[in-house]
Amino acid sequence: MRTSLALLNLLHERTRLLVAIAGVAFAVILMFMNLGFLGALSQTAAQFYTRFNADLFLISPQALEITSAKAFPRERLYQVAGVEGVQRVMPLYINYLQWRNPETSESRAIFAFGINPDDPAFALPELESAAGKAALRQPNVVFFDRLSRPEYGPQDIGTVTEADRRKITIVGQYELGGGFSADGTVIMSDQNFRRLFDPFPLSQISLGLIQLSDNTNPEVARNAVASLLPADVEVFTQAGIIARDRDYWINTTSTGFIFGMGVAVSLVVGVVIVYQILYTDISSHLKQYATLKAMGYRSRFLVSTVLQEALILAILGYIPGLIVAVLLYQITLAATSGTLPVSMTLTRMGFVLILTVLMCGVSGLVSVNKVIQTDPAEVF
Amino acid sequence: MRSPRTPLAWLNLTYERRRLLTALAGVCFAVLLMFMFRGFENALYDSQVQLLKLLNGDAVMVNRLKSNMFVPEQFARNRLYQAQAFEGVEAAYAFYTTTGNWKNPETKRVRPLRILAFNPSDPVLPLPGILANRETLRLPWTALVDVKSRPEVGPTRAGVVTELAEQQVELVGTYSLGTDFASANGNIVMSDQNFLRYFANLGPEEDSRTLNTVDIGLLVFDPEADPDDIVAQLQSQIPNDVQIFTKAAFVERELDYWRNNTNIGFVFSLLTSMSFVVGIILVYQILYTNVADHQAEYATLKAMGYSNQYLLKVVLQQALILGVLGFLPGYFISLVLYRMTADATGLLMQMTLGRGVNILLATVLMCLISGAIAVREVQATDPADVFG
Repeated sequence: MRTSLALLNLLHERTRLLVAIAGVAFAVILMFMNLGFLGALSQTAAQFYTRFNADLFLISPQALEITSAKAFPRERLYQVAGVEGVQRVMPLYINYLQWRNPETSESRAIFAFGINPDDPAFALPELESAAGKAALRQPNVVFFDRLSRPEYGPQDIGTVTEADRRKITIVGQYELGGGFSADGTVIMSDQNFRRLFDPFPLSQISLGLIQLSDNTNPEVARNAVASLLPADVEVFTQAGIIARDRDYWINTTSTGFIFGMGVAVSLVVGVVIVYQILYTDISSHLKQYATLKAMGYRSRFLVSTVLQEALILAILGYIPGLIVAVLLYQITLAATSGTLPVSMTLTRMGFVLILTVLMCGVSGLVSVNKVIQTDPAEVF
Repeated sequence: MRSPRTPLAWLNLTYERRRLLTALAGVCFAVLLMFMFRGFENALYDSQVQLLKLLNGDAVMVNRLKSNMFVPEQFARNRLYQAQAFEGVEAAYAFYTTTGNWKNPETKRVRPLRILAFNPSDPVLPLPGILANRETLRLPWTALVDVKSRPEVGPTRAGVVTELAEQQVELVGTYSLGTDFASANGNIVMSDQNFLRYFANLGPEEDSRTLNTVDIGLLVFDPEADPDDIVAQLQSQIPNDVQIFTKAAFVERELDYWRNNTNIGFVFSLLTSMSFVVGIILVYQILYTNVADHQAEYATLKAMGYSNQYLLKVVLQQALILGVLGFLPGYFISLVLYRMTADATGLLMQMTLGRGVNILLATVLMCLISGAIAVREVQATDPADVFG
């Protein structure tokens, strides 16, 4: 092929081409946004678990996801402390706390973690320093998550407020983020947890964190631990428990369905937009196509021309779509004060590119019918 | 300004049937897109307040700290009795809610369900299934289950015996309500006496409940009286550890919480506004093609002395026709998709007249904007293009 017929056809009318690109770009943006929200959801499901200093997790089988973790006896943790490869076991207490915004006096549920200050339960530098541990050990104090929603009020160290009818002082900050299930988080010592959630006993824990020695295979250790424990707890590796929470958020809640549907509808709209463009283009060049046929070009050549046009549209629309989507991700992040961690991933970029090409390809195939049926006599 | 004798806009559109169909399909899809995102957004909001809307009462009393239904704060039942003494207040009902673990009798998996409890003599939640079972609800260890519970709950029919909060429970009937964020799996209705049986003596890791603290108080007013007056009077006289709202204001407050304090509102308004922009592009494409195809004719009209204003009118008319004609199939397909979504997820996908009209207006606006952009091409037409 000496002349790039597809490209020239598209370039023939600049305005129409621009509109076409805008159409494809918007379909691409819509897909990116829906997938972005879905991705943010599954990322926040993983968020907590990747910040724990643990390789294995004990959780009650009744827990739907981390925030609904039901308490189980602390003995389960001690039962497995002697298993080969287990380096350290750490109890974690979790519950929702009513946090009063000291400025508006409005209460709002915040997600509270209770840890033994000596346990390196979180991979958070603020909690690992000696000063941080000492601060956490004081009575009626918490560390406050900088990524909590602004509705909780001032987060500065020294802020005094009320939580569950108890005076509470913020003595430190960290960055964790609460995801979809929590608008904010606080970390406190187990002793303070006991004070606040009286009569919740420390012998009942919400999550068991198990650290393994460096050269232990987590899967092997998981099986060893699981074989020792009764059925009132389940043992997961980090990947396993993340998959469990993710499955809950995406499949048991309707979220997966909603955003999946969003992607599907955007895809159909994209097909319609591209079809419009190609169909118009073919209609207005019908004479030329008929001429080509009369000259002896085969249908296959015409089909490949139309498909090339579709492919060019896909790629030209994808690029601005990607750029705008990245910007919108930034805006979303800012508008939700960092609580909705949408971010672009390579896999998603690839996935949407494939969807875009498919979308344009389908439109191309639908509209090409007209060309195939072209009668060389139409040249007159 | 000449009055157009021939319906030029209509003839332009219907000149090529197949192209008209494609154009309509385009508008229809834009409409569909808006309906779907709007529908999801509304479903999430509607489901949050459907229980509140069904509760029988002109006003609602809650703990001052209970800024939304997720906050598990109760208030003293005495406040309800105090309110009942006021003129214009005819009845005051206590409504208790908590979360209880439900064992699916088939899979034996445990799921938390929301428990709704009240005195069966009080018409607190007047749903047909509940009214029919008022007497059987009084039997100890019985409950009613919502048939719209998620499938994880197991069989939802009378006669099922399973465990609730680790104690035996027998289902004596069903009713139909639906799920929301606070009751992700479903709702159980029981009498206040049974509520005590299940939730008064829990282990130390759970909050035990009594009937002395109420989650939601419902006040029924004299139909003659002005509810706003009574609410204002009650609020000024009763200690301010409780807050009193008319039911409408309470529902509005709950919606406000979800709209402004959660990410859901942001996510869906972004998606809805983007689908609007996509709609503009789609319709613009259609109109632009149409205008470009008839360039020579428009130029002829101009050469004949027709003003730009007349051409603008023609294009806008076309936009309007496309908008209205495309809206209708979009609306009907959305109805089908709403039904399918509701069946697949249990989301409360409701189409109301107001919402339909809203999207219709958005569609018309979308078409007019596209028309206004597309018409610039016509206005730039040089009468000399007649030879083009």
